[in-house]
Amino acid sequence: MTGRRWVALGVVLLGLTWGLGGEAVSIGHHVEENHFLDALTGLSFFVGGAIAIDRRPGNLLGPLMVLNGVAWFCGNWTNIPNGWTLPFLHLGQAAATGLLAHLVMAYPRGRLTTGYERSVLAAAYAIPIAATAMSVLTQDLSRCPACASSPPVYPDFPDADLSHRFYLVYDRSAFVLVPLFFIALWWRWRRSSPAARRALAPLWVVAAIMVTVYSLSPFTSTSASSFAYLVWEINALLQTAVPVIFVYGLLSTRLVQSAIGGLVVDLQAPIVPGHLRTLLARTLADPTVELAYPIGDDRWVDPDGRLVEPDGSGPLRRTTMVERDGLLLAALVHDAALDPDLVRAAAAAAGMALDNERLHAELRAQLEEVRASRERIVLAGDAERRRVERNLHDGAQQRLLALSLALHSARRQLGNGEQDQVVNTLERSGQELAAAIEELRELARGIHPSVLTDAGLGPAVEALARRASVPVAVEIEERRFAATTEATAYFVVSEALANVTRHAEATRASVVARCLGPILRVEVGDDGRGGADPARGSGLAGLEDRVAAIGGTLAVHSARGTGTLIRVDLPCEAVP
Amino acid sequence: MADMRTLLIVDDHAGFRSWAREVLAHEGFDVVGEAGDGTTAIRLAEELHPEVVLLDIQLPDLDGFAVAQQITAGPTGHAETATEVVLTSGRAPEDYGRRIAASTHRFLRKDDLSGATLEAVLEPRR
Repeated sequence: MTGRRWVALGVVLLGLTWGLGGEAVSIGHHVEENHFLDALTGLSFFVGGAIAIDRRPGNLLGPLMVLNGVAWFCGNWTNIPNGWTLPFLHLGQAAATGLLAHLVMAYPRGRLTTGYERSVLAAAYAIPIAATAMSVLTQDLSRCPACASSPPVYPDFPDADLSHRFYLVYDRSAFVLVPLFFIALWWRWRRSSPAARRALAPLWVVAAIMVTVYSLSPFTSTSASSFAYLVWEINALLQTAVPVIFVYGLLSTRLVQSAIGGLVVDLQAPIVPGHLRTLLARTLADPTVELAYPIGDDRWVDPDGRLVEPDGSGPLRRTTMVERDGLLLAALVHDAALDPDLVRAAAAAAGMALDNERLHAELRAQLEEVRASRERIVLAGDAERRRVERNLHDGAQQRLLALSLALHSARRQLGNGEQDQVVNTLERSGQELAAAIEELRELARGIHPSVLTDAGLGPAVEALARRASVPVAVEIEERRFAATTEATAYFVVSEALANVTRHAEATRASVVARCLGPILRVEVGDDGRGGADPARGSGLAGLEDRVAAIGGTLAVHSARGTGTLIRVDLPCEAVP
Repeated sequence: MADMRTLLIVDDHAGFRSWAREVLAHEGFDVVGEAGDGTTAIRLAEELHPEVVLLDIQLPDLDGFAVAQQITAGPTGHAETATEVVLTSGRAPEDYGRRIAASTHRFLRKDDLSGATLEAVLEPRR
């Protein structure tokens, strides 16, 4: 049993205790009325409320029906004289008018929608409660327990007439309030779409009952012998129907249909991105609705294509996955209290629009990815320029500066006739110059290796392998590819082998490149410690962008302890 | 050569350092030490109280400007042996933008380095 069902069961038990207890009090005080019918009417509100709480959690109508039941039996309990609870019971009884009006005006969503409705409802609560409060304060209710209308006034109350006049205001206010209430209902009807009007239909039955009840009220009597007593019985029986009708209305699929009907109409118009969420929020009456679209690899984006994490965890949130023809379209994150039938129906109705928005979001996400990748490529280019500048300054230039000082020394030594030292100085100068030349060569090769242009990928990779720190087995097809393909493949291998030297603690490595139809697959593997992560190393991330830029893919398999395998698939057109 | 100025050479490039020592030692300076990074430079400047520190701006650990700041503000304190820092670099001074203009220290390009040019940028003695 769910927690909600326990709450519902508790509500029924509370109703039985409160209601039957109230009837027992009435019987004990010899109040003449049809106790069975009185109990039936009051209890019907408790049962209706319990069903609504169980089946439509989050909808205020359930709790309102329960409160109506509580208020209904307050009258019975006022028959006990002199209790300290008496004023509260009278006030509870007085709240019944407001509660019933609230129930009708909030049907079916459990919410008021306009300021006018709120004003009328506030008056329907306030006026009877204020009048009763006046009675409670000024009149000795214990002497005439069951009637708040004209009991004796406290003998020491200074202005006995005031209380009576207040009661008259309350009595007459009904003539104003009831028409205002019906205007509110009529206005709501006018504003509703045809589908919504169908959902409001039960309301007219309830309204008709209420009009009948109020019209008949002056002719009712609880004295069992009169015709008026029969009218009272009819009145009570009619009110029993109110919770029945409300529960029927809440549970019927019409409510769902009306909401979905509105959505279907709204979906006819072109939808700007983001608006679909608004429409669904309105249909589901849940402003917190969020939409997320899958773009593969378990990644999700919002309607604007930004990466999001659809979070339906927590007791108050729920995620509904929307599928169509087995294809996952979207995730709908919403209030857990929403009716699952309604959510599913709304998602189904919005299927096409969701699919459109998903494609749109996917496109935006891809554009964003391209933009970010382009930015990374530019940044990588800048970083590369800085690296070359630093290498030139720290390497070859330092050697040349040292050489300049050496020649300066040689000139002085010559002038001083230090023959032996000159020879020595010139020898060291030669070494410095040779080192400078080697560093320039290395740098130039890093910018673009001439062997790649001249001889192709195979010889270029073999040259890389010869300079690697561990033995590298090279197996590359002897043919030429497009220059961009060769360069990309070369730099991937170069970076991968550099990583082997830097991080892998490997004893050997291998490079395999072969054509698989229109694809050149290059794999660089080692037997090192693994654990490489392209997201952390900027070198691999930069290569990923470079590979993506020519339409290829890069994958890194590097579980800890199993070595690293980097696989690159590049589009290749063989060059004759 | 009692009046030769004492000199500390700071440069991370060992080859350049040894050639600079060779040249400057023959051209009027008493090279008392060499340092390959900023931390060592600051320590040696305190220990040796050199009159001149030839300081490469580009160091592997600290920024040359910061090292110069530390050395001149250091607890060497003796008025007659106040350390004078000459910044040096393979780059042109304008490559350091406003930092070089804001610096109170002299600057000498590495390719201009010799005993005479270093002497020329220093404050005249006493």
